[in-house]
Amino acid sequence: MLSFEPYGNPTYFAILGVALIPLVIGLLYGRRSRLYETIISIFFLVLTFGGPKWTQGVALIVYISYEVLLTWGYAVYRKQKNSGPIFYLMVILAILPLTIVKVTPAVENGQNSLIGFLGISYLTFRAVQTMMETRDGTLKNFQIMTFLQFMLFFPTISSGPIDRYRRFEHDYRSVPDRDTYLGMIQKGVRYIFVGFLYKFILAYYFGQILLPRLLQMGMQARGGFLDLSWPVLGYMYVYSAYLFFDFAGYSLFAVGTSYLMGIATPMNFKQPWRSPNIKDFWNRWHITLSFWFRDFIYMRLVFWFMKHRVFKNPRTTANVTYIINMLVMGFWHGVTWYYITYGLFHGCALVINDAWLRYKKKHRESVPHNRFTQWFAIFLTANLVCFSFLIFSGFLNQLWFTN
Amino acid sequence: MAKRLLRIFGPIILAALLVLAVFVSPVTFGFKHVSAGEERQAAVSLSPNVLKGKRLKAAALGENYVPFFGSSEWSRFDPMHPSVLAQKYDRSYRPFLLGARGTQSLTQFFVMQNIQGDLRHKKAVFVISPQWFVKNGTRKDAFGFYYSQLQTTEWLSHYRHDAIDRYAAKRLLQMPVAQSDHFIYAALQRVASGKSLTDYQKVYLRAKMNMLTQEDQFFSGINLPSQNLNKVMQQTKKLPTHYSYATLNRLAGQLGKAQTGNNRFHISDTFYKQRLKKVIRKGKLKNFQKNLSYTQSPEFADFQLVLDQFARLDTNVMFIIPPVNDRWSAYTGLSKSMLRQFDRKIRYQLESQGFTHICDLSHDGNVPYFMTDTIHLGWRGWLAVDQQLNPFLTKSQPAPHYNINDKFYSQQWQQLPPERLAAYKVTSK
Repeated sequence: MLSFEPYGNPTYFAILGVALIPLVIGLLYGRRSRLYETIISIFFLVLTFGGPKWTQGVALIVYISYEVLLTWGYAVYRKQKNSGPIFYLMVILAILPLTIVKVTPAVENGQNSLIGFLGISYLTFRAVQTMMETRDGTLKNFQIMTFLQFMLFFPTISSGPIDRYRRFEHDYRSVPDRDTYLGMIQKGVRYIFVGFLYKFILAYYFGQILLPRLLQMGMQARGGFLDLSWPVLGYMYVYSAYLFFDFAGYSLFAVGTSYLMGIATPMNFKQPWRSPNIKDFWNRWHITLSFWFRDFIYMRLVFWFMKHRVFKNPRTTANVTYIINMLVMGFWHGVTWYYITYGLFHGCALVINDAWLRYKKKHRESVPHNRFTQWFAIFLTANLVCFSFLIFSGFLNQLWFTN
Repeated sequence: MAKRLLRIFGPIILAALLVLAVFVSPVTFGFKHVSAGEERQAAVSLSPNVLKGKRLKAAALGENYVPFFGSSEWSRFDPMHPSVLAQKYDRSYRPFLLGARGTQSLTQFFVMQNIQGDLRHKKAVFVISPQWFVKNGTRKDAFGFYYSQLQTTEWLSHYRHDAIDRYAAKRLLQMPVAQSDHFIYAALQRVASGKSLTDYQKVYLRAKMNMLTQEDQFFSGINLPSQNLNKVMQQTKKLPTHYSYATLNRLAGQLGKAQTGNNRFHISDTFYKQRLKKVIRKGKLKNFQKNLSYTQSPEFADFQLVLDQFARLDTNVMFIIPPVNDRWSAYTGLSKSMLRQFDRKIRYQLESQGFTHICDLSHDGNVPYFMTDTIHLGWRGWLAVDQQLNPFLTKSQPAPHYNINDKFYSQQWQQLPPERLAAYKVTSK
């Protein structure tokens, strides 16, 4: 039985290309065949979760049924009533499987949970978001079939980008006019080819060629202050480059493929390395994730804190929420000290950044602002981010706590 | 619309056609030529790409290079290393080092598949590491690292329909990496079950082989590591102008002594510092090899594949059996009697089938500065190898007479307890 990593090798792209031809032709002539879309979605899901990975496939089916039941059940309930505790209970139930999957390796010595599968986080984000918008009343006509298509949309199933139900539904229910669609094809093809450059050339070079060498050199140079050495610094930059090109490359494939299917899945990266501060960085890096956290954790928490008057000072509210928000993101990556430290680091960085921006606003005359300071800001931000990725990489864990 | 679609997809289609044309075409685009400099680099590079490819090996072996099959010992470039001695004293042969950490018999069997022409009626050298013959044989990930689809497709284009090839196919199917190409995987299943390949499979394999050959010709010369050649050249400077065993032996002792000062095992300082010092301080290595055995292993059957291949090609081979550093094995508790049993078992497999050129150094683990670290030959060890290797390669040898016996593929042989060897010699056929 064949089994593929999504976008993993040329064969996958060849199959993808052939499978998309009828769909592209249909869209060019103003038709969208739901049936065909469903068939190729299932086909690619089988390619990803079938064969030797069938246990993941079973986990996916069970998980999806569970989430659909919850979301649909809540949507039906919400038409009649709107109780807070019920809503909280449903959200907790919805994130329960993800929580189990994330906590299992930490308590079971690195063993992976049986109910996990590739992409479970991203599906949870989509389900929870649908539930929250149902509660807000912004999402009124929930439909099971559309929701299934939204959840199982194969180009983005394994690692995002995280689309929103209402945005997806709008694209899915309509057919773009020919000119718009031709534009989408053009963009989609370009994205996929830039993705090739990112993922198969640059990420390969940084991740497969340079990184193992630096890792070995760094491990051999242990013994100094905190076991740090020049190779560790090299590792930090090379790992950051690898992380960016690998994930941005993958995202370009996912977005490009969506475009060919006439769905304008949102972009995940927008030149993150030119951010002048850490807040701007999170508006450019893994955008759909950070916006998800912004809309469904940060904003909600801020409202909750303000409503219940937990903190007198709105600044304190914002700062505490930053930290909580990033800590949750850290925990979401996995329950290890380095992911959590990574989250904490970014939380603190956001707090400091806010304080600095306020200070700068107050002392406009005394704080210089010119081309040099802007370059410096970009340089500083990029280096801070790279340092946070060194924490994230787990290399320090290997450096300090292994033989 | 058509115009716009052509603008979008035209370049892709054109690019795809060009790539296809290059890979499918039998023309070699002038990349076939390999310069002498490239050959010298490739011969000592120990790069996995050289091992997995064909172009560089075939070009060098077509001249005065001799294949030296082995594993991690090749990377110990001291002045007595075979490549250094051959270079310095301008011998009539030059070693082409094949193998690195993790390459074992099964990998070497496939390496031999696309240099058959250069092995037939020629000489070769093969280092047998006792450490290969552990309970589970070759590691699946290590085999995967050195696996070459090019070699597999070449093998499938000339395999014979006998028990040996069925065994090779079965072993390959046990490796996860065999699934890297679904069509090759299906073909291997047919070979393993004794069926011949379908016409469709033959066409596919031929096309694939052609494509991989083109790929090898384009890319094998790129990024060829040069640091090992530099090391070899550096080391030649330490040798006296004229070869004299006595002088070299003295020099080997001096060099060994100078480079093994920081530990009681006579292990090279850098190796000790990088790999052992920290762990030894924690006491984790004391007696850790007490129950290790090299006498029962699937590796014995994999090794038989190699012997079979040499016999089929009438290759005259010198086998080298290195010892284990005595001071080290005493510390780790590795049993000396077990090593002797291994030696007897492997020698029986070799000698009973007519492989009589054996440079057996298994008793020399106590000679000072024979080993550069725990299990790898160094200074005096390399020199001892040279004592037998040089005459073997430079003088003409009588043609070998091999009589291969399939019993060495059997489970019984692989798992034969060493104390039953004497009885086995008498009773088995």
